[in-house]
Amino acid sequence: MISSVSVRDVRADHPAVPTWLPHVGEERSAPTGESPGGRERQDRTVPTTTFPRSAAEIGAGLRGVVAAATGPGWPGRVLYALALLPAGALGLALYFALFGSVVAVIYGVGLLLILLVLATIRGVAGLERRMLRSLLGVDVPAGERVRRQPGVRTKVRRLVTSAGTWRAVGWLGARVLLGAATLAVLFFATVLCVALRFGLDWNVLNALPLLALMALVVLAALLLLDLLVRLAAAVGPRLLGAGAEQRIAALQAGGRRLADRNRLARDLHDTIGHALTASLLQATAARRTLSPGGDAPVQPEFARQALQHIETNTRAALAELDRALSVLRAEDDGRDLAPFAPPTLADLDELLVGLRDGGLPVALTVDVGTDEVPAALQALAYRVVQEGTTNVLRHAGTPVTVAQVLRLGDTLAVSVHNERPEQQDSRPGPGGGRGLAGLHERTRAAGGTLTAGPTPSGGFELCVVLPLAGAA
Amino acid sequence: MTLRLVLVDDDVLVRSGLRVILESEPDLTVVGEAGTGREALEVAARTDPDVVLMDVRMPDMDGITATERLIARDPGRPRVLVLTTFEDDDYLFRSLKAGASGFALKRADPDELVDAIRIVARGSSLVLPDLTRRLIASHTPSRARGAAALPELTGREADVLRLVAAGLSNAEIAAEMFLSRETVKTHVSGVLLKLGARDRTQAVIAAYESGFMTA
Repeated sequence: MISSVSVRDVRADHPAVPTWLPHVGEERSAPTGESPGGRERQDRTVPTTTFPRSAAEIGAGLRGVVAAATGPGWPGRVLYALALLPAGALGLALYFALFGSVVAVIYGVGLLLILLVLATIRGVAGLERRMLRSLLGVDVPAGERVRRQPGVRTKVRRLVTSAGTWRAVGWLGARVLLGAATLAVLFFATVLCVALRFGLDWNVLNALPLLALMALVVLAALLLLDLLVRLAAAVGPRLLGAGAEQRIAALQAGGRRLADRNRLARDLHDTIGHALTASLLQATAARRTLSPGGDAPVQPEFARQALQHIETNTRAALAELDRALSVLRAEDDGRDLAPFAPPTLADLDELLVGLRDGGLPVALTVDVGTDEVPAALQALAYRVVQEGTTNVLRHAGTPVTVAQVLRLGDTLAVSVHNERPEQQDSRPGPGGGRGLAGLHERTRAAGGTLTAGPTPSGGFELCVVLPLAGAA
Repeated sequence: MTLRLVLVDDDVLVRSGLRVILESEPDLTVVGEAGTGREALEVAARTDPDVVLMDVRMPDMDGITATERLIARDPGRPRVLVLTTFEDDDYLFRSLKAGASGFALKRADPDELVDAIRIVARGSSLVLPDLTRRLIASHTPSRARGAAALPELTGREADVLRLVAAGLSNAEIAAEMFLSRETVKTHVSGVLLKLGARDRTQAVIAAYESGFMTA
């Protein structure tokens, strides 16, 4: 019955080894920490015994203790134990430095000093994480990287407000306590040994039991130190790792990035992909009309129009490419993609400058506060203006055009309308551009309505009305 | 014989470019244009084209739905060639399932595009055989039921279907099996009839979905 029980299983049952602490050997194999599920599985396979029932079990238990003490990670644990005292001293020193700089603030000179101490504490926390990983095999995921934040002011703000900083301060407190405990263990063990050796009269009769007693004291001290190391391994991840809120934030950021990427891909498909396709077909057709096969006539007028379409399409595609690349570059620099990806109402000015360069006399009215409109709606409004103005260029040439973004009660109204074109050199197709189909979809998704059609005065109007409430 | 075409795309620039490119071919003539799937149905009913060149994403009614409706109206005519900007697997497979005879990229060389139209009209081969076969194979769950799933085929017809599904044209199959082209044509017709398939593309889908061909 015993022969099938592995050392590991016995340890899990053996009362001498606290199973509630993550065990170093297991941390190696499962870096995320001991899972409660794992222990339940062991409980099912091995009947739970509170006391060792036979000599064989005691033997197996002892082997378990020895294996735990000299397990695969024992050199690392010895090193970690040796570092308990100096690390405790360092923690104490940093606490003094922190309190000292707080006192100095009162005298008006210590603000920089506090920041310096906090930064040092975060640095020490990084070293501690590395120590836990390399010596004890406990993997501690780092939290927010203050160093990666853009700008000195953000860095300083995050340094002071980050929960990670204050958890690191808490860890230093734990370090001081661990150091004190180590000191106490060493002190009492030494005192006991000295007392045993010099406080008693040794003779032939009691020498052996006294020696055994001393050995027991040393063993107890070692076990206590081991317990302290395990404590550090258990508490460390909580204080040094990313907090729950940070892990959730990281997950959310990941999801947002994915959504941003998908949106970017769809945008590229709708804008650049489509503009290039139309340009390619126009160019191919133009070439054919200039040098037709057989007895077909040369059509320079078609070629001229085709070139104009290609010019308009390519200009719009390049502007979109520019924006897409800036988004990708922003992400490359390690900055969050989200704040850069969607265009905002503020970007409309730049868009219209480009169109005016292209010869379109266009006026823009934005009569709504930027902070009244959720980011998603701002991006949609930008798209409406972009699509509307591009379509004017495509289908009507360069008539006078007015773009408006207005707040009407609880709705946001975005419209682009143009006067009657002077010469109707392109067909005002009912379908409009490819983007119009995409806009339809997005407007519907946002709970709004899209209308597009000719105006009584001979122009064309695109109008999108979006609900402002509950759209965020 | 002139092939009558209808162009369906929501962008006038794409349509006008395509029209010029295709009309420069002596055997092709564009008899109608449409900007949405719904318009396409109406234009096709009015003009009775041989081949409809169908965009996928359009407002009002997309190309996949329009293809389905066209095929449901008359399985024989017109055939549908799907035009796409990007090789979006899902859209393309869905359009083949809806009954399109093949697909071509809008960025394809004009000669390739014209070839694809002629192939679709004649039905003597798959359009973009490798791409089409891979697309169908990768979208069909492999059931590995083996040839037993299509028992009504004769040995010869089964061989022909295997080569059709591999993307070979009638001429290539004739060379492979040491048969005349006419004989191959007869076998292919027999296979299509027994599978209830309108054209080779649908036969290949049936071959994969029944487990006769495995991915």
